[in-house]
Amino acid sequence: MAPPAGRIRPGRYLGLFILIVVVLYALVFFTGGGKATPKLGIDLQGGTRVTLSARTPDGSAPSRESLNQARQIIETRVNGIGVSGTEVVLDGSNIVITVPGEQGDQAKKLGQTAQLGFRKVLDMQQATAPPAAPPPGQAEDPAAIQAAKATRQAADLVTGSGDTLAAGPNASAALSAFTCSTQDPLRGNDDPNLPLLACDQNGTAKYLLGPVFLKGTEIDNAVSSPPAQNKPQWTVDLTFKSEGRKVWGDFTTKNIGQNAAFVLDTQVVSAPTIQSAILDGQTQITGNFTQQSSKDLADILKYGSLPLSFTSSDATTVSATLGLASLEAGLIAGGIGLALVFIYCLVYYRLLGLLTIVSLALSGLIVYAVLVLLGRWINFTLDLAGVAGFIIAIGVTADSFVVFFERLKDEIREGGRSFRSAVPRGWVRARRTILASDAVMFLASAVLYAIAVGDVQGFAFTLGMSTVLDLIVVFLVTHPLVALASQSKFLSQPKLTGLGGVQTLAAQRRSARKVPAGAGAKES
Amino acid sequence: MADELNTETAGATPAAKPARRESVFHRLYVGTGAFDIVGKRKRWYVFFAVLVLVCLASIGIKGFNLGIEFEGGTQIQMPAQGANGPITADDAKRAFADALGEQAESAQTVGVGNAATVQLRSSTLDADQVGKVKQSLFDELKPLGSNGQPSAQAISDSAVSASWGQEISRQALIALGVFMVLVTVFLAIYFERWMAITALIALVHDILVTAGIYSLVGFEVTPATVIGLLTILGFSLYDTVVVFDKVKENTRGILGLTRRTYGETANLALNQTLMRSINTSVIALLPVLGLLIVGYILLGSGTLQDLALVQLTGMLAGVLSSLFLATPLLVDLKMRDPKYKQQAERVRARRANQARKAAERDADFDAADDEALDAELRKEKAYAAAASVPARTPKAQPRRGRPSGKRKR
Repeated sequence: MAPPAGRIRPGRYLGLFILIVVVLYALVFFTGGGKATPKLGIDLQGGTRVTLSARTPDGSAPSRESLNQARQIIETRVNGIGVSGTEVVLDGSNIVITVPGEQGDQAKKLGQTAQLGFRKVLDMQQATAPPAAPPPGQAEDPAAIQAAKATRQAADLVTGSGDTLAAGPNASAALSAFTCSTQDPLRGNDDPNLPLLACDQNGTAKYLLGPVFLKGTEIDNAVSSPPAQNKPQWTVDLTFKSEGRKVWGDFTTKNIGQNAAFVLDTQVVSAPTIQSAILDGQTQITGNFTQQSSKDLADILKYGSLPLSFTSSDATTVSATLGLASLEAGLIAGGIGLALVFIYCLVYYRLLGLLTIVSLALSGLIVYAVLVLLGRWINFTLDLAGVAGFIIAIGVTADSFVVFFERLKDEIREGGRSFRSAVPRGWVRARRTILASDAVMFLASAVLYAIAVGDVQGFAFTLGMSTVLDLIVVFLVTHPLVALASQSKFLSQPKLTGLGGVQTLAAQRRSARKVPAGAGAKES
Repeated sequence: MADELNTETAGATPAAKPARRESVFHRLYVGTGAFDIVGKRKRWYVFFAVLVLVCLASIGIKGFNLGIEFEGGTQIQMPAQGANGPITADDAKRAFADALGEQAESAQTVGVGNAATVQLRSSTLDADQVGKVKQSLFDELKPLGSNGQPSAQAISDSAVSASWGQEISRQALIALGVFMVLVTVFLAIYFERWMAITALIALVHDILVTAGIYSLVGFEVTPATVIGLLTILGFSLYDTVVVFDKVKENTRGILGLTRRTYGETANLALNQTLMRSINTSVIALLPVLGLLIVGYILLGSGTLQDLALVQLTGMLAGVLSSLFLATPLLVDLKMRDPKYKQQAERVRARRANQARKAAERDADFDAADDEALDAELRKEKAYAAAASVPARTPKAQPRRGRPSGKRKR
């Protein structure tokens, strides 16, 4: 016999829930290595995360294609360093490099555009003022890039072309007026076909340079080599491809005694004087290198330059100690939050509070399984913001129960029903509210996840996920359990349900109908 | 118009006064609160208007205390325990100056006990400079790692460009716009027009007030804060949905009845959901409170605390607006419709009529007089059946002193 409308068979729902839990945990333990721990973000386990934001001269959005290309090049650079477990992912127009563990410092330099160009030195001055840090925000501003371009890459800085190239009439004044800055807005965004005013890496000298005559793409290989007799510091040795070899040979033949500048991302790395024609396609970049920095440069040159320029928006190294402390803090906060909710529910709802606790615990059970599985399937990493999302979701989950229980009270108070008969009716009405409010919450999380960047995604994801899982628990666990409790004589005693007050009130109401009209009009 | 409404609700108040007043808590618990929120709405409007104006003024004049993500800069953090004893903020500052020859902007110790850390802030440093500072901090102070041994790896650092906060905020603003549009669509489908509009107004209020409180108190605004703001909106709507659901249910078919005005019905719905609203808010706030306290004590600052603080502020603003702003506003908007005005007129006419009849019957109406009581009860029952929820059969009720034969249903 089918149960009447609104009444359910609690066993079926609970059975379905158990099935879901069994399937989830079977997946956790029997697939993908069976390691039942979720993937933790670097802020919970320690490590380095670098967020590189693409930057275009006109502030427009970079193309998907070039972003992907940049991601791949950075990935090869990462592999060049040889740090294991590194991830390079595209997040909007940002590239996020994540290095777990303690070897991440090198990752901070991977975002270098590494556009190497060879330019002829036309004029040079010592920088008078020490390099000044620009006001914050300026360097990334497209307007700043355009302005810098207009003054530092003006075509009239030079006259003639090719072999007749020389400094223009106003060039000397322009060079004097130019000051070096630690954050160069043009970095990686200079036009190779125009002359350039640039500084060396220490900001001690400034140069007027001709257009790029040889591009970094002509480099075949780059290796760093240790100091030797005639070179006191580490150097980077370059080998050109055939075309590059020819151009470099031509240039060095015609410009003996002159200076050529190796310009990396609009900074002059070195500007040696050409002693003799170099025809074998080999050359050396000397500079203020250490072993590490020469290796970094060689690696970056070897793997090619990025199609876009990037700024490091956020470079964070979290020590394992701090990560552990954060994880602990998150767990403690979650524990305290849960305990507070438990106590409140028990005091306020008594038996129903107990059902809330059971439901929350079961909810936690499937949340954990889903977390592990998502880490495995879509590389979802749980970070600190994600933990916060879960903790805040405790409230959302418990809210659904409150809506249901308060509905039950309404039914008992206004409809004068017993606990037992209030359940099916209260459920039908509470369901609607629960669905609507969860829909709003989910909408907020989904929008946030789709649009936001950075930490936020984890927060939005866990909050949204908890909202969905909350629905499963409310429908498959809480409601059936309440229905079961209402059918048991023992469990539905007013003392246990905490509904005594309401039931007494309902009884009072009925007798109150005998009292004069004034009081009766009060309420229905 | 408002005056007219006020007199009506005021007129209803004496009748609504229960014979025996229960404690406020008991009234809340059982949902018979009978708090006249809608009737006193002018007071609330003034309150909210002042609140919003103060917030706007503060945002305009005082602005926000923007975090490192907006200003750009480097933050270096390490455990406050070193091999040579506790590390103070001044020690860290000295080591920083030794490394770079310039001063750090600020140094402070946050957190307590074993979880205490020293935080240094400075202008943006490049990777090499960060390396130098870390080396110097390690050489001079030997902070202890998680295994109790001094370790350079125990030092955390984070360098943020000035544009990062702006980028996150821009995305958050876009998200806010998209969310508002979607929510409007959702509300328009789920509720009627005025309800949707009111819910949106309450939503805007919540954003303004939360932002205003941040500006007033000078809490630090970080990207996590900006983001947290968005989820508050979810909560704020959540409360409003719960209340409006009940208002909608109670006011079904109200135009054909003369029992209560729209305002009174809405106030009743508000009272009936009051405990639910308070409960959902308290329960939502408890974990947030835990988060805030633990975030503050153990980590001192950071994502957990930022998210918790904004949630706390926003939820309080949200529950306030959904109870005291949304419903009264809804009533006023509804009352612009002549149909509701006419209905309110009819309610008043009926009440006047009843009062006159009662006066005629004088004081000799007696509960012991079965005939008078039955007439009154029948009327009540008819109103109850028509006005609120569909008729029910109260089988399980004890039928105290009532002639059972009279009940036909």
